This record gives sequence, structure tokens and C-alpha cells, in this order.
Amino acid sequence: MVVTLSRIAAAVLGGYIFVWGVVALSIASLAAGGMDYDQAWTLAMLLAFLVYLLVFIWAFAARRLAIVWVVLLGGGAAMTLGAQLLVGGR
Amino acid sequence: MYQTFRQSMTWLHTWFGLVLGFVLIVVFFFGALSVFDREIDRWAQPATRFAPQPMPSFDHLLRPVFERITEPDPDAIELARSLVDGPLPEKYPVMDWSAYTTHRDPVLDVYVSFDLPNARNPDDHVHGHQTIDPRSGTQLPASDLKIGSEFFYPLHYSLHLEWMELGYWIVGFAALSMLAALVSGVVIHRKIFRELFTFRPQKQRQRVNLDLHNLTGVVALPFHFFFAFTGLVIFAGIYFPVSETQLHPLVEAHEQAAAAATGLPHDPAGIAAPLASVDAMVGDAQRRWAARGMGGDVGFLFVNHVGDANGYVSIYRAGTDRIALTGQGIHYKASTGALIREDPPETAIASVNEFLTGLHLQHFRHWLLRFLYLFGGLAGCVCIATGFLFFVEKRKQQHARDGVAGARIVDALAVATITGTLIAALSMLVANRLLPENLVDRDEWQKNVFWLTWLASGIHAFWRTTVVQDGESAPAWREQTLVVAVLAVAAPILNWLTTGDHLLVTLQARYWPVAGIDLFLLATGVLAGLVAHRLRRPALAHTRLAAMKS
Repeated sequence: MVVTLSRIAAAVLGGYIFVWGVVALSIASLAAGGMDYDQAWTLAMLLAFLVYLLVFIWAFAARRLAIVWVVLLGGGAAMTLGAQLLVGGR
Repeated sequence: MYQTFRQSMTWLHTWFGLVLGFVLIVVFFFGALSVFDREIDRWAQPATRFAPQPMPSFDHLLRPVFERITEPDPDAIELARSLVDGPLPEKYPVMDWSAYTTHRDPVLDVYVSFDLPNARNPDDHVHGHQTIDPRSGTQLPASDLKIGSEFFYPLHYSLHLEWMELGYWIVGFAALSMLAALVSGVVIHRKIFRELFTFRPQKQRQRVNLDLHNLTGVVALPFHFFFAFTGLVIFAGIYFPVSETQLHPLVEAHEQAAAAATGLPHDPAGIAAPLASVDAMVGDAQRRWAARGMGGDVGFLFVNHVGDANGYVSIYRAGTDRIALTGQGIHYKASTGALIREDPPETAIASVNEFLTGLHLQHFRHWLLRFLYLFGGLAGCVCIATGFLFFVEKRKQQHARDGVAGARIVDALAVATITGTLIAALSMLVANRLLPENLVDRDEWQKNVFWLTWLASGIHAFWRTTVVQDGESAPAWREQTLVVAVLAVAAPILNWLTTGDHLLVTLQARYWPVAGIDLFLLATGVLAGLVAHRLRRPALAHTRLAAMKS
């Protein structure tokens, strides 16, 4: 039961944090690379939900749940931090 | 937790499909109705049963309309209380005027944005809105509810749960679960191609359920995936609000740079200025579109920084003939009418986005596609509904033996979201024709009828599914189907009695908005009657069996 709940939380919340990181970092780095902000935003949002779907499915399919949590939370935090550095650096 | 990939996908499909299915079926059903939202509006607003109108003259008709909207809508003011520190302002400075229309709109929606001087977030504004008859400029009463575009359509994406945008989040989560259910559904099924052609209505009930579930899911698979995905993209800004939070510094810099590059001022100058003839600007824009070989209907008209020296007028072509809401914007200086800029062709990314979201929203003219959308949406409803039935049939004997209420609860919720939704929507149309014309808050009463009949259907569904606990079929299905049949036939009859527009009149006049809705209602009534008749037989057989046993 706890394992199932943890898996659902990993897929939904872990996935959300991961995708936030993907979105923020892609927009910030594309904008830093000279792309128009609206263009970067649109591109990131077109990809966001496909990435979310992939990690969502993966969270249920993966053998080891701990790895799912580490990748989603760690990756999400790292990318969000990366985006923050790019925003703050302006 | 699972031995194989296929098992994990079965778990995902079953449980996410079940829990979010109750949301999804509502989203699919009202999405399917929203494809004909303007037509439902005409049915529900007999005073607006006239031909679609082009954007009217700004100088003669729209300008006085805008100038008489001097304060935000009452509910917008209510909402603004939570956005300001201290009391609300006495007067709201006008920021911009806009009007939007499509090739299916006889009436015109006009909007005014007002500044909210002491708002905590300077980007927060409040809005005023009116619906007018574009032939005369007279306002339609605000209590005259557009059931299609103002009630069914927002229900489709927000569930009318506006608090904290909760409804958008629930629908978004359901859409993501829909995508996951589609992927996992494909994984579960091994003979996907064969299922395209498999339907065996003579087989036992559980086999029929599964055949129909697979058929409607697989045949319309690209349709379901496309709509769930683009629905998420349309509200991406709500689900991932990076621009308002983490990336806000980038947005500010971008907006200033964009204003400098396009010549369209970001802020007012603070100096009063008159407004030149907007009709002349529209005429110029239409000549420029014609030079590019494009039709000249105005879809969206926007006056920014009203009455200010930095004011400008943006004129966008209606997306009637292309997959977009509007396009080919041309911008003029408001005080002189001088051309500021013509929007360049879309970039590749923007074109893809416009195509995907435009194809979902379908404001362009393509009636065949419109009907395909309707049937695609209804196929989605059948797919979800048969999924519920499969879940119940598979477990109800076991649950009956174990004394577990699971199958009964799912059956009750299925009744409440399948026939219950139909009853609520039909009751609303019936109420629309029965409530007195001069009733105060007539719009609110229609909404109340919708929610209360839905609630009543839910209560009835729980009451009349108790026998599922004994492993039998619930009488709730047949009873509610009968109610659907009665309401669906009553609605067109009431339309005839209250407006005189019966089918002979509307068909002869080829007035499809009302004729089409009436025909669809009658077809629903006949179909529901046949289903109710068919649902009678197992009950009879059961009674006979019981009689034989005794």
C-alpha cells in the first residue's frame, strides 16, 4: 500500500517537479542563447507534457522505485537551480 | 510490485482510468457538446436566432458601446477584492477595448480591461464584458445565459470550480491520466489491429463491453491522444506558471525589448490623445489582406492604451479559412491611424503551436470535421463508460461474495456520470424553456437546475444500485435512461411551444443551429427509449427465473 502510494506520488509529484525543471531550464537556456522568450516558452510547453507522460509511465514501469525518486527529484531540483542561475545571471 | 511491464501498465490503466474516468467522461461529454456551443446558444436564446454578423462599424456602433462600459462586471469586482490592499478604487481607469467574433456568431462579445490601481500584483486587471446585437448595438441582458459557450464549454475545461483554478488542475490531471491510459491500453492489448474490426454484440455482456471499449478506444486513438495533449498545451501557462514566478525577470526584459522591436508601446505615455477613425484602419487592413489574396473578415479588434498618446489599434483577420483563431495582425497608431507594423509570417514553432491548439478549439469553418469531433468525443464517452461497466461486471460477483461495496460504488458513480450528466444537461435545456422570461437571475436558476438535477441523479444512482451488492444488475440504469428519453423529447416540444420554431419551420428555413439541436435531441430521446426497452429484458428474465424457482 505504502509502496503503491509512493509510486503514485513519484509519478504525479516527482514528475511535476522534474517537468518544471525541464520547462524552466529549457526556456532560460534557449532565451540565454538568443531565442525569443515567447518562442522558447512555446517550444518548452509543446515538449513539457510529452516528457511528463514519459516519466509518468516510467515511474510505474521501473523496477526500483528509489531510482525513480532520485532521478525525478534530483533532476528536477538540479534543472530548476540551473534555470535560476541563468535568470539571476542577467 | 509488478512482475512485468505489462502488469504495471494494467494496474495503471485500471486504477487511473477508473478514478479519473469519472472526470474524463464529463470532460469528453461537454467537450463534444462544445463543438456546437454557438448552436446550443441559439437554441437557448431565441432572441439571437438570426444570421452570423461581420464585425460592425467601430466608429458608429462599437465605440459608443465601449464608452458606456465604465466599470467591471460585478463578479469581476468581487474577485478583485482579494487582489488589492485596502478598499477597492472608486473609479477604474480604462486600459483596453476588444471584440472577438467568428463565422458562427450572430451576437458580438465586447470586453473592456480596467486597471486596478492598488493591486498587489501590478499585472492584475479587471474586466467588463457585454454581449451586443451587432446590428443595433443594443445590449443583451446579462441574465440571458449562453448555455453552450458560457456554461457547457467552461465546464469542459474548468468544471466551474474557479477557486484557486482547482477545476483546471483536476481536468489537467485527468488529461495526463488519459494519455497514460492510452499508452498503457495499447501495451495491454496485443492484437490491436484485429480490435479495430471486432464487435460481437451477440456474445455475453462482458465480451461486448470489452469489444466496445477496445473499438472506441482504438479507432479514435489518435483523436483521444490529440485532444488530451493539446488541451494540456492550451492551458500550459496555468499548469507550469514559470513566466509569473521563476522566469518573471526574463519576461519583463522580453516585453520591453519586444515593444522596442515592434514599435507597439508597452506602457501608456500619460498624455491624453484622441482616437482616429478605426473604420479607416479596418479598411486599410482589409486592402492589405486582399493584396495577399486573403479574405477580409475581422476576427479580433483591439484598442490598447485607450485615450492615450501611446494608444494603438490592432486588427486581426478571422481564422475562418485557416487553423487558427485569428491571424495576420496589422497595427495602427490610435491617434493618427498611421501604420505601425504588419505582423511577419509565423515562425515554425508558433505555427506548430497555432496548428495544434487551433485544431482543438476549431473556430475555423469545416462542418464535416465538426461532426467528426462530435462523434470522436462521444466515442470517448463510450470508451470510458464501457471501461466502468467492464470493471463492475468483472468484480461484482466476487464483491458480492466478499461483502465488499466496491463494485456497487463504481456502478453508482458510473450511473451518476453517464446518465446523470445527460439528465442534468437536458434538464437545463428544459428549464431554459420553462422559466419565465422576466425571472430575476434567470441565468443562475438555469445553472441551479443543472447542479440540482445532477445531484438528484447521483442520489438516485446510489439508492438504486444496492442490488449490485448481491451480484445483480442495478435498476438505476434503466430508470435514468427513461428520464433521459422523456427530457430529450420534451426539450424540442417546449422549444416549439415557447418560440414557435418547430422542426418544419426551422428545416424549411434551413436554420440549422436550432433544427440540428432539435434533431439531435429527438435522436437522443429515441435512442434512450430503445436502450431502456432493451434494459428491461434481463430484469424480466430474472423475475421469471425467480418465479420458476419458487
